[in-house]
Amino acid sequence: MKNRITLLAIFCGLMVSCISASAQCDSIANACAKRNMDPSFISDGQQYRALLVNADETAEFHVTFYGGTIYRLAACSGMTDGNLIFTIYDSQKNVLFSSGQYQNAPYWDFSVKSTVDCIIDAQLNPTTNAGSGCAVILIGFKQL
Amino acid sequence: MHFKGMLQMKKNFLFTSVTCIIITAFVLAGCKNTGKNNDKGSQPPVPKVDSNNATLLKINNQIFSIPSPIQTALLIKKSGYAYNRQILNSADNYAKYDTKYKRALNLGIYGADLGYISLYDQTQDALLYLASIEKLATDIGLSDMFNPTLVKRFQQNMGKQDSLLSMVSEAFTRSDAYFKDNKQPDISSLVLVGGWVESLYFAVQASTNTQANQKDIIRRIAEQKISLQNLVKMLQPYNNRPEYAQLIKDLSGLSDIFDNVEFVYNYVPPTVDVKNKVTSINSTSEVKMESAILKSISDKIVAIRNQIAG
Repeated sequence: MKNRITLLAIFCGLMVSCISASAQCDSIANACAKRNMDPSFISDGQQYRALLVNADETAEFHVTFYGGTIYRLAACSGMTDGNLIFTIYDSQKNVLFSSGQYQNAPYWDFSVKSTVDCIIDAQLNPTTNAGSGCAVILIGFKQL
Repeated sequence: MHFKGMLQMKKNFLFTSVTCIIITAFVLAGCKNTGKNNDKGSQPPVPKVDSNNATLLKINNQIFSIPSPIQTALLIKKSGYAYNRQILNSADNYAKYDTKYKRALNLGIYGADLGYISLYDQTQDALLYLASIEKLATDIGLSDMFNPTLVKRFQQNMGKQDSLLSMVSEAFTRSDAYFKDNKQPDISSLVLVGGWVESLYFAVQASTNTQANQKDIIRRIAEQKISLQNLVKMLQPYNNRPEYAQLIKDLSGLSDIFDNVEFVYNYVPPTVDVKNKVTSINSTSEVKMESAILKSISDKIVAIRNQIAG
């Protein structure tokens, strides 16, 4: 009987964490925009989201940055800053930026001279995220 | 009796365990598939991508960004191209779009049109297109994003270009979030496709205008190669639906033409201004595209756009 209750509890826990993580994505994105997006940047019209089940999992965001543009990237998971670590690679896998080198900065600006195709890898911060979480990336732009 | 009881308990335990494992597997699968469609079984295989520190990379964790149509519209205006009402999809056409598929695609088209109009401060046209967007949006469940309040705010900010562009972008960002929250990433993708097609359509129209700085516009057209590949990948999960399949086929045909565009990239180490949180991406890129390829791209995108707009 005890085993049944334990298994049921585990199942319910998984259900609740899955549903709540999904529901939280929207509020995380809104809070992220308020905290980290400056009004001078125009949103690119999309909310990039991925549900990560642990800190070892990586979400990939494929992005083109146009030359002559300044971009702001905001990266959030949870309602406080620093929970999502993001790294930007170019098409040759050179690292262009890693927020991990800058105290897990929740946002950063990129002045792009010439158009580049990039991949942004995002991972939950293992020191602040024990379990799953919704990874949100927001992109804003303005002309150089 | 005691032995039978034990046996029964073991059976119950086994049954409960197996049931829980199966249900849990489904729950976890549901978790992982959040935001993706339910027809995954019919998706074509998507290759895994190599990346540092990545332990689980599959389609669910690959997210494709489509550049905002406003970025291309900004470039077109900066290039000296005068406002041209003729290149817009007629605001009256909204009544022709009688399915969710057509409405979503044309919502994207009208969104790009509104961004273009706002850049040129065309008040009357802006209100006309906003009204069409409001009607289309209401028909596909977006009445909260495009409502009379937005129209009023838009009217109050006429002439303030940055405010108008922000409003258009925010409304489309909220729409994108709405579709993702409501398990309709297919509709979200269609809106993005519509916006992308219309912005490329603007660019090919501007590329033939001798008054504009054609070099920058042609370069921007060539730079759409990867974005187009991302668009096709984004639509692939819905390839089992006839109308999506046709759209994918059309865009794949365009992508085949874009394969002739050469993109040369040279990595240059970035420089960082830590104090201001700015990294300068110093890498350079060049595009090489023959005029015959530009002509083929132009012809194809005009055909696709007119097919969508009707």
